Amino acid sequence: MTITVLGISGSPRRHGNTETLLDSFLEGAREAGAGVEKVILKDLDITPCRGCNACHKGGDCIVKDDAPLLYDRIFAADCVAVASPIYSMGITAQLKGFIDRGQYLWARKFVIKTMFFPNDHIQRHKGLFISTAGQNWDHVFDGAFPMITAFFNGTGFEYYDNIIANNMDEYGGIKNHPTAMKDAFLKGQQVVAVLENLKKQ
Amino acid sequence: MTIKVLAFAGSPRRHGNSETLLDWVLGSMAEDPEVAIEKVPLTEANINICRGCNACEKLNKCVQRDGMDIYHDKIIEADIILLSSPIFCMGIAALPKALIDRMQVFRSRKFVLKLPVVPPERRGKRLGAFLASAGQDWPYVFDAAIPSVKCFYHVIDIRDADISYLMINHVDEKGAIERHPTAKADAMKLGKDMIAELKKRLLA
Repeated sequence: MTITVLGISGSPRRHGNTETLLDSFLEGAREAGAGVEKVILKDLDITPCRGCNACHKGGDCIVKDDAPLLYDRIFAADCVAVASPIYSMGITAQLKGFIDRGQYLWARKFVIKTMFFPNDHIQRHKGLFISTAGQNWDHVFDGAFPMITAFFNGTGFEYYDNIIANNMDEYGGIKNHPTAMKDAFLKGQQVVAVLENLKKQ
Repeated sequence: MTIKVLAFAGSPRRHGNSETLLDWVLGSMAEDPEVAIEKVPLTEANINICRGCNACEKLNKCVQRDGMDIYHDKIIEADIILLSSPIFCMGIAALPKALIDRMQVFRSRKFVLKLPVVPPERRGKRLGAFLASAGQDWPYVFDAAIPSVKCFYHVIDIRDADISYLMINHVDEKGAIERHPTAKADAMKLGKDMIAELKKRLLA
């Protein structure tokens, strides 16, 4: 069975550094035989979570827009690569808006207890975070990781790896980075091979 | 002397725990007749998401026309800027993150164009505070929000040492913060302390 890989681009800017890095990852996955799709968050209709907690009763979000539909697509994928540039030391408001809308999944897991991901399921679903930052600080991604962890926990994916590259301002863009594009491509190939092996077991 | 306080209530839920915390701070500040407060719920502020176009690095202004046209000037004029947010999914909520990302115009002004954000005589005479609530009881639940909050303040010329934090974990359902043993007293004290500190600096 074909491995399915879903890339989610959380940048407001099309074809910038982060989306280009995501594309390289997806290209690697495609070359390894995966079925690959890419979603551009900014083109979807996703409003921020209202914090109404209605999902704590029924387990569903009462806001009818593209967010629950995208979560359905995530659940249909073997691998999800979520991508965001670093803005103001965190993920973009766009991606944070989508992640916050996963509250109904949290409610299903912990409030009404209708959803549970066994370890075996989590191991067979791999999540990657792809990011770039203008700053050269090593800690520039630190504020993003806990939110990505929450996202993958909520959706039953193992937080498998990061593909991150800082110092974009100095490199003048991701294509001038010495290793990032190649690394992303190879990680795309590798994760598909790992998932294929797991499917055979 | 009038002290201008600008307070952004960042929660999508009106009058929830983080906004209550903010209201306590504002309530104690308002006891001083020299304090003028403007509170802005971000649910009503019409602030779009940053497009990442970087035009502000050249234009020294944002190309978007929305609520930020008003708040840009108010942010410069204010002596005290408060921001409140609940923690959602281990981070600041999306609405205040959108506000923070739109501070890019100040970042461009300060670091790219090397122009002043506030007049030199007002530097060091502005204070900020971040008020947050979280449902989780983990002590580290606020950690990932703080770097973005610092960015928010740094680019509008409020220094690291001039940012206060009051962050209350383990309050989830609406009104839970009312039963917290210290939150209200701490918030009232914070409001009083900030006004006293600012007056001291303005008179110095």
